[in-house]
Amino acid sequence: MRFVDEFRDAELGRALAAEILAGVEPGRRYKVMEVCGGHTHTIYRYGIDDLLPENVELVHGPGCPVCVIPMGRVDDGIALARRPEVIFTCFGDMMRVPGGDGCLLDARAGGADVRMVYSPLDALRLAREHPEREVVFFAIGFETTAPSTALTLLRARAEGVRNFSVFCNHVLIVPPLRALLRSPDLRLDGFIGPGHVATVVGARPFEFLPADHHKPVVIAGFEPLDLLQAVHMLLRQLAEGRCQVENQYTRVVPYDGNPQALRVLEQVFELRPHFEWRGLGFISHSGLRLRDEFADLDAEHRFEVPGVRVADPKACQCGEVLKGVIKPWECKVFGTACTPERPIGTCMVSSEGACAAYYNFGRLAREREVV
Amino acid sequence: MAGEREALELIERVRSRPPRFRDAQITMAHGAGGKATLNLIEGLLAPAFGLTELADAAAVGDVALTTDTFVVTPIRFPGGSIGELAVNGTVNDLAVGGARPAAITVALVLEEGLAADELRDEVDAIARAAEAAGVRVVAGDTKVVERGRCDAMYVCTTGLGHVDPRAALAPSALRPGDRLLISGPVGEHGVAIMLARGQFELAAPVESDTRSLWPAVDALLEAAGPSLRCLRDATRGGVASVLNELSRASAVGMLVREAAVPVRPQVAGACEILGIDPLYVANEGVLVAAVAAEGAEAGLRALQGVPGCEAAAEIGEVRAAPEGMVIVETGFGGRRVMDMLVGDPLPRIC
Amino acid sequence: MSAESFHCVTCADEALPMRVESVAADGAAVCAGDIQVLTDLVGPVAEGDRLLVHAGVAIARLEA
Repeated sequence: MRFVDEFRDAELGRALAAEILAGVEPGRRYKVMEVCGGHTHTIYRYGIDDLLPENVELVHGPGCPVCVIPMGRVDDGIALARRPEVIFTCFGDMMRVPGGDGCLLDARAGGADVRMVYSPLDALRLAREHPEREVVFFAIGFETTAPSTALTLLRARAEGVRNFSVFCNHVLIVPPLRALLRSPDLRLDGFIGPGHVATVVGARPFEFLPADHHKPVVIAGFEPLDLLQAVHMLLRQLAEGRCQVENQYTRVVPYDGNPQALRVLEQVFELRPHFEWRGLGFISHSGLRLRDEFADLDAEHRFEVPGVRVADPKACQCGEVLKGVIKPWECKVFGTACTPERPIGTCMVSSEGACAAYYNFGRLAREREVV
Repeated sequence: MAGEREALELIERVRSRPPRFRDAQITMAHGAGGKATLNLIEGLLAPAFGLTELADAAAVGDVALTTDTFVVTPIRFPGGSIGELAVNGTVNDLAVGGARPAAITVALVLEEGLAADELRDEVDAIARAAEAAGVRVVAGDTKVVERGRCDAMYVCTTGLGHVDPRAALAPSALRPGDRLLISGPVGEHGVAIMLARGQFELAAPVESDTRSLWPAVDALLEAAGPSLRCLRDATRGGVASVLNELSRASAVGMLVREAAVPVRPQVAGACEILGIDPLYVANEGVLVAAVAAEGAEAGLRALQGVPGCEAAAEIGEVRAAPEGMVIVETGFGGRRVMDMLVGDPLPRIC
Repeated sequence: MSAESFHCVTCADEALPMRVESVAADGAAVCAGDIQVLTDLVGPVAEGDRLLVHAGVAIARLEA
């Protein structure tokens, strides 16, 4: 895997870290937000924080699709899973997200047929293999994952599979960013853009950040060097007074994205008028649902779901964490009432949630360079 | 940063509270070898039996006793089968407890409908593994349950060994400055099981590393006996879980150098696809040794001389702080915490 | 660590580089021995091509 090894080069990393240190303005604090669970993961997994000067703060935004699912939607999923004829399939982390009364894993322990899959295609295969059952796929994810669901639905349609449906919770990346930037208690210097979402949608959709909000953004890949490089590029923009969309992940991300992927999304999905995001409230035109032509493959049409809105527990501060307003350890229940084994909120459930990442990997008192 | 330090201290206080078993029902996580298993053992089982901890093996006078149940599915996998696992697993619990394995008992729970040939194969596997490990099968039991009540078979082995005088091992014996050694590459068994479950295929197949660890333990005892603090076989929960247990028991910190941990490329690749850190994957033929600094070099050389342990390596060291915490120095130079396993990423692994 | 895997494919927005080992009759790529990858979004592929794969779908081509 030369592709990957090259970018894990520690020596290059140290050189970049030194350049970053040299380029940082003394006494100035920089707050950079990344909006992708994968970036959160890389930062913690490789200890990137250790390599940055103390006055450069990396903040995690609403980039984890599991983290933004409200409890009521989880309950809807559980209701579907409890139906005896249903084989309920979902990605790994979704199984532990607490709804109003337990999570999918609890439902499984109670007898529901809940199975983890790595892709919606696995779920479709289950439907083919079990014609006597109803297979439901809990679709989550940003624009990176939505095309996979779309292609699966098109295949289901083409093959005439009747016992498959999707419970669609796909979301888009731009609306929550706009919502975030309207918040007065957030001071950010710039963004690290989500590399794989951008592979599908391109760099173009992020132009609103410099254009409307005067925030520079650098689209980044997922290796530790990618992230360091992106931070370096961002800080250089700030030092040189530039404000633009830059692409660090040029080896993969085209400016206009993947036209075929966008066509397929357009073909299968339409925008919901609004969708509730955990911690962020209702955001208009931020979620996807299946078009009417695919109603028979839409779990919400095929089955009844409770559709009850459940308020987050009072103690839960996931919203503030998702907006980058507080750090995980600043949440009052972090590490005490809310732990990875007994999570209260989604930020602690998802392995890429800011809280889980910090608890599992980052729980270290660090000595870093102060400039 | 004052706020962060305080928050971290509070978390450590919460974590160091005695475990309480508060779950309403048993979930797969309780069988994973991670935090839930620990809670179950220390919160329910050990107190019920009047013990402070429930160890894998324990000395009763000069004799060491251990028991283990094997529920691996499927029962045959690349590199081994449940019978072999059942012998080696129990032999290894004795070995890493510092006892020379002498005899085992074998109890079988068989599923109605199990083919006689399959049973014959497993019984042969048990016999061969016992001979290879130098132990006698001295007693046993057989039960049959209705079709569907167990997957082909479950095996329980109990082992008896003689406490070896060359070392005094205890999980609480680790001290700052001790070195951490590993006897071979990690992740093989867990990945082999995933392959056997048909999750995916690999060009170069991976096999379970199930083997008796007594030769490795014997070599360590001979070369570095007085310097040995504790040995553990890194089964379910992997190296990460074992290091965390030791770190907790000795109230010390640890630093592991990720780049020094031997992992074969096929295993690393498979773990990447599965989204699993090889340090959490079950092994069935790997031990971790905590050795006082003065004995570490001799211990490592002795290990490397044991067939199958050529890739043995020093992977880190014991520190005074942060207490009870295992830190990993990543290949990239930064650091992260390596906590105990939560949940059950690889169920029914052994 | 999550219940079933250490990091969740979609949460991590993870895409893995994979090599096309062979091409199935319907155009799907077969990678890493047995992993089926849809190639609808990247066009026809050939053995040896390198793809960036997310949730069973190739979302981009990679340089060799």
